[in-house]
Amino acid sequence: MRRVFLPLLGVALTIAGWWLAVIVLEIEDYLVPTPPQVLNTLAERWAVLLEHTWTTAWETIRGFALAIVLGVPFAVLLAGSRIFEQMVYPLLITVNSLPKVAIAPILVVWMGFGAGPKIVMVLLLCFFPIVLATTAGLKSTPAEIVELARSLDAGRLKTFWAFRLPQALPQVFVGLKTAISLAVIGAVIAEFVGADAGLGFIIVQSGASSDTALAFAAMVLLSLLSIVLFYAVQLAERLLVPWASEH
Amino acid sequence: MISIESVDHRFRGRAGEVQALAGIDLTVETGEFLTLVGRSGCGKSTLLRIVAGLLTPTSGRVVIDGEPVRRPRRDVSFMFQKSALLPWRSVLANVLLPAETLRLDQAAARRRAGELLELTGLTGFQKALPKELSGGMQQRVALCRALLSEPRVLLMDEPFSALDALTREELSIELQRIRQEQDTTFVFVTHSIEEAVLLADRVVVMRARPGGIRRIVEVDVPRPRSLGHHAHAGRVTELSAELHELLLPNEAA
Repeated sequence: MRRVFLPLLGVALTIAGWWLAVIVLEIEDYLVPTPPQVLNTLAERWAVLLEHTWTTAWETIRGFALAIVLGVPFAVLLAGSRIFEQMVYPLLITVNSLPKVAIAPILVVWMGFGAGPKIVMVLLLCFFPIVLATTAGLKSTPAEIVELARSLDAGRLKTFWAFRLPQALPQVFVGLKTAISLAVIGAVIAEFVGADAGLGFIIVQSGASSDTALAFAAMVLLSLLSIVLFYAVQLAERLLVPWASEH
Repeated sequence: MISIESVDHRFRGRAGEVQALAGIDLTVETGEFLTLVGRSGCGKSTLLRIVAGLLTPTSGRVVIDGEPVRRPRRDVSFMFQKSALLPWRSVLANVLLPAETLRLDQAAARRRAGELLELTGLTGFQKALPKELSGGMQQRVALCRALLSEPRVLLMDEPFSALDALTREELSIELQRIRQEQDTTFVFVTHSIEEAVLLADRVVVMRARPGGIRRIVEVDVPRPRSLGHHAHAGRVTELSAELHELLLPNEAA
C-alpha cells in the first residue's frame, strides 16, 4: 500500500506544483503548458504520437540489441586475452570519452536521415557500459570456482559456458540496465540532428512552432518509453538469473 | 598410494621469493586417512594443491598409484574451504556436475547422486538452490559432488573450517561413516587439532617458513570416534596435548 501510494503522491504533488506555478506566475502557454493542455494534446494527437513513439522505440531496441550482440563477444575477448585487452582497452576508453553528440552530425552525413544513424548512436552509447560490466563479470569468477573447474577437468569452452558466463550474468545485467537507460537518449540525440520521424523529431518541430504542449507530450512519452524498456530488461533479468535475486 | 617425493615450492610474493615448501617427503597409504595440521602459512594448502595437480611444484614430484601427477586427475576429487557450489544450479545439478565434465554414465551418476544425497540427509532438498541451504548443508552438497565420481583419492582443504563447532563435529562423524563404505584415500588439511585427532589415522604436523614436516603422529584411537560420551577421552586428550605442544610457536625441538 505504502509502496504504491507514496511514489504516486510524489508524482501528483510535482504535477500540482507545476500547474500552480504556471497559474500563479502567469507563465504564457507557449513557454510552459499546463498539465491539462499536455493531456489534451496527448488525447487529440495520440495516433500520430504513437507512430512516432514506435519509430523511436524501434530504433532504440535495434541499437540496444546490436550493442549486446557486439558488446558481449567483445567483452569475452577482453576478459580472455591479455594481449587483446592491452591493445584495445586504452582505445576503448578514448573512444568512450568522446561526447557522442559530436558524432551525430557525421553519422547523418554518412548514413542519411533514416534509422541508420539513430541505431548507430544508440549502439555507441550502449556498447561501453555493456562491455565494461561483462568484462568485469567474466573476470570476477571466484578463485575456488576456477579451481573447481580445473579439478573437474573442464576444458576452456566448458569452463566458459558452465562456470564463467553464468557467474558473470548478474553483472552483465548491471551493464544492460545502465545501457538501456542511455539507449533512448542516444536515439533522441540522433533524431535532433536529422530525422523525419520519431519523438526527437517531434520535439524539434514543436520547438520551431512554439507548440510546447506537443513537446511536453513527446517528453511524457519518452520517459514512459524509457521506463517500459528498463522494466523489460529487469524482467529478463528475473527470468534469466532468478538465483541472484535477494532473499 | 600417494608418494610425495622431495617436493619444493617457491613463488614470487611482494617481498621477493617465498619458499612455501622445502623438501617434503611423505607417503600416504591407500585407504588411509591422513590429516595435515599446521598454523597459517605453513604451506599445507599449497601441498594439497600440488597433490591435486592444481599447482606444479618448483622441484620434486608427486606420484599417485605409480603415475606422476602433472595435471588434475579424474580419480582425484578436491573439496574446498568454501563450498564452491554453482549458485544457479539446484542441489542435484551441482552434485551431478562432475558427470558432465568427466563424461560419466548419466544414469549411473543419477543413481549415485541419489544415494549420496540420502547418505548425507539431503533427500528432499534436491531441487533447492544453494543459497536456500545452511552452511553445513552446502558443505554436504559439496561432499556429495566430490564423491560422485567415486574418487580413489579425496583431497580436502579445511572443508569444515567455516562452520560452527557442532556442525563441524556432525560432519566429521558423517565423514567417518562415509569412509567406512568406500575404499578412498583421504588427505585432509585442517588447523583444528580436535578435527585432526577425530578423523585421522596419522596426523602430519607441519612447520612454517619454509613449510616442512615437523612430526608425524599416529592416532591409535579405535573407531568410530566422537567427542561425546563414548569418546576415548584419555588417549584423545593425550594426543591433543602432544599436537598442541608441537604447534606452539617456540620450536625448540
